[in-house]
Amino acid sequence: MASSSDRLDTTLAALADPTRRAILARLAGGETSVTELAKPFSMSLPAVSKHLKVLERAGLIARGRSAQWRPCRLDAAPMREVAELIDGYRHFWDASFERLDDYLTELQSKEKQRGRQGKKS
Amino acid sequence: MVDKARKANRADMTIVRTFDAPRELVWKAWTDPKRLAQWFGPKGFTNPVCEADARPSGVMRITMQAPNGTQYPMTAIYAEVVPLERLVWNTSVEQGGGVSFDIHQVTTFVERDGKTEVTLQAFITRATPEAAGALSGMEEGWSMSLDKLEALLAR
Repeated sequence: MASSSDRLDTTLAALADPTRRAILARLAGGETSVTELAKPFSMSLPAVSKHLKVLERAGLIARGRSAQWRPCRLDAAPMREVAELIDGYRHFWDASFERLDDYLTELQSKEKQRGRQGKKS
Repeated sequence: MVDKARKANRADMTIVRTFDAPRELVWKAWTDPKRLAQWFGPKGFTNPVCEADARPSGVMRITMQAPNGTQYPMTAIYAEVVPLERLVWNTSVEQGGGVSFDIHQVTTFVERDGKTEVTLQAFITRATPEAAGALSGMEEGWSMSLDKLEALLAR
């Protein structure tokens, strides 16, 4: 059985491809057939199917079981994990940048003070 | 996978901030370990360990300490250093209990009218879900809002 870290790795790998992100963006609009999905892309149906398999393995999409028409549906749960991680990192840097801003102001006012003292002497 | 993302210039996270300070001063704040220790991390955190050997293959080692004493060690290897312009490093954060994540980070510095625009791009290269949980738990320490930051910059 795949560990949870493997699962997140798989999600990140699936999301790293621009074509797959475009497919997910289309699926955000609702359930669609493979043929419909392939239309805007200049690639063969088997090539699109390959991308869909990657997305399915990553748990990002679910596919219907009817043999003729297997509609694809978006499953956003794995993306939430990635979004949470990125949010945490952004918060960290936002907070650090706030301190950096204060620190730079402090450094510059000290320099100014030293400059004034230098002129007096 | 990561190389593809980098080529497409698709960062997992991008932050752009302008600091009212000349670029040389901002660069020093990032690369001089004594100065880096003064601001790295959320408000109230300290950095009892802060080493930064800013040159290709150099190591950056920081142990951040929360007000409650919890320590967060972090190690990075510099991949690219263009003085005053560009800092690229690969970070590895380990917090025990299977919590870890790797990030490829590109930071650029551009001076405009005596101010410095810093662009930070992060690409997540490996992560465990536990890392996401631990990071969210730290949000109390990150409560300072962006509004307040804007107010500070406007002064």
